Amino acid sequence: MIMQPLQELAIREEHDIVMARSLVRESAMAIGFGLTDVTRIVTTASELARNAFRHAGGGIMKLRRLDEDGKLGLELTFEDHGPGIPDIELALQKGYTTAGGLGLGLPGTKRMMDNLDIQSELGKGTLITVRKWRKG
Amino acid sequence: MAGESISVNRVRDILMVTMPRDPGDATIASLQDQVLAAMEKYEALGLVLDISAVDTFDSFFARMVDETAKMVLLMGGRTIIAGMRPSVAITATQLGLKLDGATTALTVDRALNRLETARQGR
Repeated sequence: MIMQPLQELAIREEHDIVMARSLVRESAMAIGFGLTDVTRIVTTASELARNAFRHAGGGIMKLRRLDEDGKLGLELTFEDHGPGIPDIELALQKGYTTAGGLGLGLPGTKRMMDNLDIQSELGKGTLITVRKWRKG
Repeated sequence: MAGESISVNRVRDILMVTMPRDPGDATIASLQDQVLAAMEKYEALGLVLDISAVDTFDSFFARMVDETAKMVLLMGGRTIIAGMRPSVAITATQLGLKLDGATTALTVDRALNRLETARQGR
């Protein structure tokens, strides 16, 4: 699989969540995703960028265009050095929240994307990777 | 944009808010105070929130809209969310978003008609 590094964005302030959405929208459209998938991917980016900002005080978002024998996709990673997620299984349950939100971000992300991988270490940080493949 | 803001407009006794395409968290959060202040000031019947330009409706946005609708309801008003795009409706359902405090309408026109009908029984 060819993985080209595309771009990265530091999420430091609230407005960077808007920047993250804008950058991801641009990339997803360039890869040729349909409007509904673009919306799924951008919404996922918005949830994960906000998580990094609110729970970890910020982080880095990276975008990579994927190419597996001509099948195109987009990979997003969100890395932070925040408190980490104590129980990933619990965080993936609908309605579980620690920041007064709806607790829909991570479980919703899992439904909207093709792959979701969460690596987290308490006191060290969290690395979340999501992928979406273009159909057809 | 960072400096963008929303404005609450009044048409007779109905409040109208048109959300921008990609509002930041601060802009979304400013909705509550502005709408509630306008409800009191104009003794409004309710709020029509036009989201036809919005292309990303995430859990934060949904929570703010739902809370605002519930507060408007406590004040005696109704909230109608108008113009949700198909791609947004699909994504909102997959995310599991709930908008218990508001009703929805396909267009702003239909939302206004419904509020007008509600006025008859006021």
